[in-house]
Amino acid sequence: MMLPAFSLIRREYIRWIRAPTWVISGLLSPILYLILFGQAFDLGKLLPPGTPAGVLASALSGAPTYFSYFAVGMVAFASVTAAMFSGTGIIFDKQLGILQRILSTPISRRSVFLSSLIFRGMLTLIPAFLVVGFALLLAYVPGVAGLQVGANVTALDAAQFLGAALILSVAFTSLFLSFGFAVQRIESYFGVVTILQLPILLTSNAMYPVNIMPTWLQYLVGFNPISLAVNVMRMSLFGTNGYTYSVGIYLLGLLAWAVVFVLLALLLASRALRSHVGPVGGALSDAIAT
Amino acid sequence: MSAPSSSPPEPALEPRGLAAPHGGVADQIVIDAQDLRMIYPPPKAGGKGTVAVDGVGFQVWRGEIFGFLGPNGAGKTTTISILTTLLDPTSGRARIEGIDVLAHPNDVRRKIGLVFQKSTADEELTGRENMLIEAGLYGLTSGQIGGHVNDLLAQMDLATSADRFVKTYSGGMRRRLELAVGMVHKPKLLFLDEPTLGLDPQGRAGFWRYIRYLRDSQGLTVFMTTHYLDEADQLCDRIAVIDHGKIIALGTPKQLKDSVGGDTLVLSVAAGSADPTALISPLPGVTAISRQGDSLRVKCSRGESLVPKVVMTAAQAGIEILGVTVIKPTLDEVFLHLTGHAYREEGEAPNGNPGHGAGNGPEGAPA
Repeated sequence: MMLPAFSLIRREYIRWIRAPTWVISGLLSPILYLILFGQAFDLGKLLPPGTPAGVLASALSGAPTYFSYFAVGMVAFASVTAAMFSGTGIIFDKQLGILQRILSTPISRRSVFLSSLIFRGMLTLIPAFLVVGFALLLAYVPGVAGLQVGANVTALDAAQFLGAALILSVAFTSLFLSFGFAVQRIESYFGVVTILQLPILLTSNAMYPVNIMPTWLQYLVGFNPISLAVNVMRMSLFGTNGYTYSVGIYLLGLLAWAVVFVLLALLLASRALRSHVGPVGGALSDAIAT
Repeated sequence: MSAPSSSPPEPALEPRGLAAPHGGVADQIVIDAQDLRMIYPPPKAGGKGTVAVDGVGFQVWRGEIFGFLGPNGAGKTTTISILTTLLDPTSGRARIEGIDVLAHPNDVRRKIGLVFQKSTADEELTGRENMLIEAGLYGLTSGQIGGHVNDLLAQMDLATSADRFVKTYSGGMRRRLELAVGMVHKPKLLFLDEPTLGLDPQGRAGFWRYIRYLRDSQGLTVFMTTHYLDEADQLCDRIAVIDHGKIIALGTPKQLKDSVGGDTLVLSVAAGSADPTALISPLPGVTAISRQGDSLRVKCSRGESLVPKVVMTAAQAGIEILGVTVIKPTLDEVFLHLTGHAYREEGEAPNGNPGHGAGNGPEGAPA
């Protein structure tokens, strides 16, 4: 006996492994951010010479350099950017009738959703890990800034880091999957994603410190799930000084977002899977819907 | 788990009493549909719903190829969607192998195979991968089903292309792969929705061979929809003719054609000749004559044997017959006879509908 959901994951995996262009384009932008943006936009260089080291460290909540601060933000950035493609597969499956074939088999509707969440969620973690690895490697390249991690990072810190990355991935994969279930056309999907992309990323602390922002923006940034995840990741690597709440609180906040997004996706998925079930081939239901 | 399968054999919905046709076993009912009705909700609030299926009931017997014939929009696809659990009917009930489709959809899904109108294979995967992944959706591993997959691929003449991407397949190969995918979990009942749509006449005839092969070799029962009259005529053991959501006739192709009442003789008479109607009508077997310009349509029981008599009678009266055509009844004429309107697809010209056999002009309403 094999779990039907595993069969769907296998199908997605085969498709994914055969489309290397997607892998390259999905990984390229975070790497470019690290090499170009991260190297150029060094906030530390704006400080006058002779400024005590503690000033920068306190502005960056304990991170030794701006690049180290930024690189951790890019981990979340890469994961969320990758998640933005999560809903595309389901739209093509709807259009090509593949979803309907799947629904004509005894597989449960929940398994259809869960297989997408598991596979797409794992895909969003790959760029996150590659960003960590690449940023760490850059520290060994002369003349280039790299990610510097405190020597006293414990196994618990690493687990917190991974946990935050995982929950963030589940949250945004679910959010974008729910759009994929809700809309019928790829154009509508990317319309929604494009509208959301910049507000989601720019109202976070991924790229610059919160304390240089105006108060109203700080509020917004404080609630952003990306900020919550990045807080946990930075606290795990650079220490907890300069943060209002503990790691646990930030993790709980992030978890709350994930629960909301998973529930939203479950709701939209079950609605879509029910209403999508129509005449075989879909031509008649299309004709009636329009 | 599954509903009782001992449904009492009910009288079939035949216009007249029938013997079981080729392969069909009348006392083993595989599909039992009763008074199915489907009203699609109106697109806007306050509008009227669309009645797609309007009280459809029929039974399909084990081992037969049962055709659901009707023009586009007649309700075929809606009916097949209800029977395959993809759509809940507004009212009525249907049982597959005695299992209610509404009460136990997953049990029904395990029993049936389904071939969609459109190709639903994943283009980026090979034919074999498509089959194995479909098998996985039924909980079957490649270890359990690998041999069966190989057999099916060979039977569908796809053995050499099994490991090629589906995007490289021709139209006919795709249809055969759909058939193989639909059979991967070894169903005893296969649903085909317009299986040869988009294939050329040669490809269609070729595809029928695979359907017959599966029926004969695996004891399959086949329920198929089609809007091709010749397909229903040549492939199906029994046909339900559906129009505007209602079944208007049900029987073997021969029974349906016989119901129209015999052959038609079309005579073309030389221009300016006298009218031979009065001479021909007393001939034995002639039931009706209608004249249009220089051509005469003679309804009769046995067309071939009437030809020499007609020609001789006319020649003796000095009327020159330029040509004679014997038209055997087609489902086209059956449809015309039953509905009063010619069989054609929406938006299509009354004439020039390919693949419906010769001599099916709408002007020749049978007597």
